[in-house]
Amino acid sequence: MRATRKVRPASVVKWIILVVFLIWTVVPIALVVINSFKVPKDIFTKAPTLIFQPTIQNYVNAFTKSDFGSYFLNSTIVALSSTVIVILIGTFAAYGLTSFQLRAANGIANGFLVGKLVPVIALLLPLFVIINAIGLRGTLAGPAIAHVALNLPFAVWLLMGFIRDVPQELEQAAMIDGCTKMQAFWRVLLPVILPGVAAVFILSMQYSWNELLFSLQLTTIGTYTLPVGIASFVGAVSVDWGTSSAAATLTMAPMIVLGFFVQKYLAEGTTGGAVKG
Amino acid sequence: MSTTTARLAPLRSRPGYAKRELRLAYFLILPAALAIFLVMILPLGFAIYASFFQYSLGQPMVFVFFDNYIAFFKDATALRSLLNTIIFTVLSLSLCISIGVGMSVLLKSLSPRVGNVLRAIFAMPILISPIIASLIWRYMYDPTYGLIYFVLNSIGLHGFGGLTASSTALICIVITDVWHATPFIILVASAGLTVIPEELYEAARIDGAGAARTLFNVTLPLLTKTLVILILIRGTDAFRVFDLIYGLTGGGPANSTTSLSIFAYQQAYENNQMGYGMAVAVLTLIALILLFGPLMRNSARGRAE
Repeated sequence: MRATRKVRPASVVKWIILVVFLIWTVVPIALVVINSFKVPKDIFTKAPTLIFQPTIQNYVNAFTKSDFGSYFLNSTIVALSSTVIVILIGTFAAYGLTSFQLRAANGIANGFLVGKLVPVIALLLPLFVIINAIGLRGTLAGPAIAHVALNLPFAVWLLMGFIRDVPQELEQAAMIDGCTKMQAFWRVLLPVILPGVAAVFILSMQYSWNELLFSLQLTTIGTYTLPVGIASFVGAVSVDWGTSSAAATLTMAPMIVLGFFVQKYLAEGTTGGAVKG
Repeated sequence: MSTTTARLAPLRSRPGYAKRELRLAYFLILPAALAIFLVMILPLGFAIYASFFQYSLGQPMVFVFFDNYIAFFKDATALRSLLNTIIFTVLSLSLCISIGVGMSVLLKSLSPRVGNVLRAIFAMPILISPIIASLIWRYMYDPTYGLIYFVLNSIGLHGFGGLTASSTALICIVITDVWHATPFIILVASAGLTVIPEELYEAARIDGAGAARTLFNVTLPLLTKTLVILILIRGTDAFRVFDLIYGLTGGGPANSTTSLSIFAYQQAYENNQMGYGMAVAVLTLIALILLFGPLMRNSARGRAE
């Protein structure tokens, strides 16, 4: 008891810092959510107003005056399909690179990682030409393919970390019991590295859901994704704050909800098991 | 190890086993390698090729050798964008890491339940698209209606330039980036902190070490590996910053917020100087490899035994 009383002043400082950081984190998000329920005359006030007549007109506008519904559907398709593919070919690659004593494994893995360093600006135009040439421009496959490749280096690196932590004897035991190498992968290894797969899922989903530049380049009207739609609000000379706040709120919501559910994996995933020592 | 080999011997000695297994390994890696080749290596190769040409869309390419690269170092705007990028990276990285690690240490000192709830709330900004973050902060920085000005005015500070003055615009973008990216540091550093053995803290307490000494002598040294990963991921992201600037200022006013990526984009897509734009992008990549390559050395360890 005496010890707790002694640290009181430090504890007060600690809580002040935490509350300040909480305000700093939440206020900008809360502001845009609150604005999405305001009519213009309530948004454009010198002092922020908390008492106002709420309206859903901005949400109605987002769906009727812009193609928000279609953006939302497109983003869902692109994010889900690219994420499923990343998980599938990412786990395969990570397994291949860690568990076969390949002499080239390190070289290939490092080659993948350099992919993470390339400035996307360098890839935009050439990729545009490639996607155009194979006839996928303006389809959802364009951004989906781009997102798969952009997510892969980190996904493979992260999954390699997870697989390395699993003793190889686990599969060897299964193989002695008559499994093939691939059966051992599906039945024995995959269940153990599921937290890593979950981490790849959330990281890849949020990247694809939020990615702007490639989607901007590779889509046309009709296949615009959410960030492209939002950018068209932001890029305009005068921003329609009401409608764009509503669109921003609806865009943020799914990822924030998803983030709350899988927060644990988000933390584990970003470190790729690398901090486990 | 020896027992493993012994147990494996019957499998290994089967004819064709090793060959079949190697073929399977390459087959597993192939799809990922193909995707990365198609979307990254091939386009990067083209970008490097194009950087040696005077190249505008709709016009024939003229081979100019290193002219685009030489032009970069003679171009005041280009050098300004390099300087901006360095300032942005140093400021954003140091602020993000110090605040992020500090907050994760504070969160760890709370009860797990409160800590987890707060951590989940603190994590929200990273789940938000950079383009939405810039939308939110453009409203925050609005000179007439923005919350920042309201707060500054109410404590008697007038004349803050915000995003419209070339002296303050870059720091405004750094602030937005810190808001957006610090949560990532908190998450990763928190995961790193959980593996530090509790006994070490106990030992420090018994030795009478204060909070500051514990932080610098126990926590930070044991967090080195995590910090390297953080500097690598966050540093390379900050060095390539595009979306936030695109959404907040577009590089203005007077090029005061033009980063290398923004400059490359402007040259390639707005001025139709594709060759020059690609040269800037390639230079960015070279700078990234020089700056962060040493941190990237893949720990060539095998699987756990």
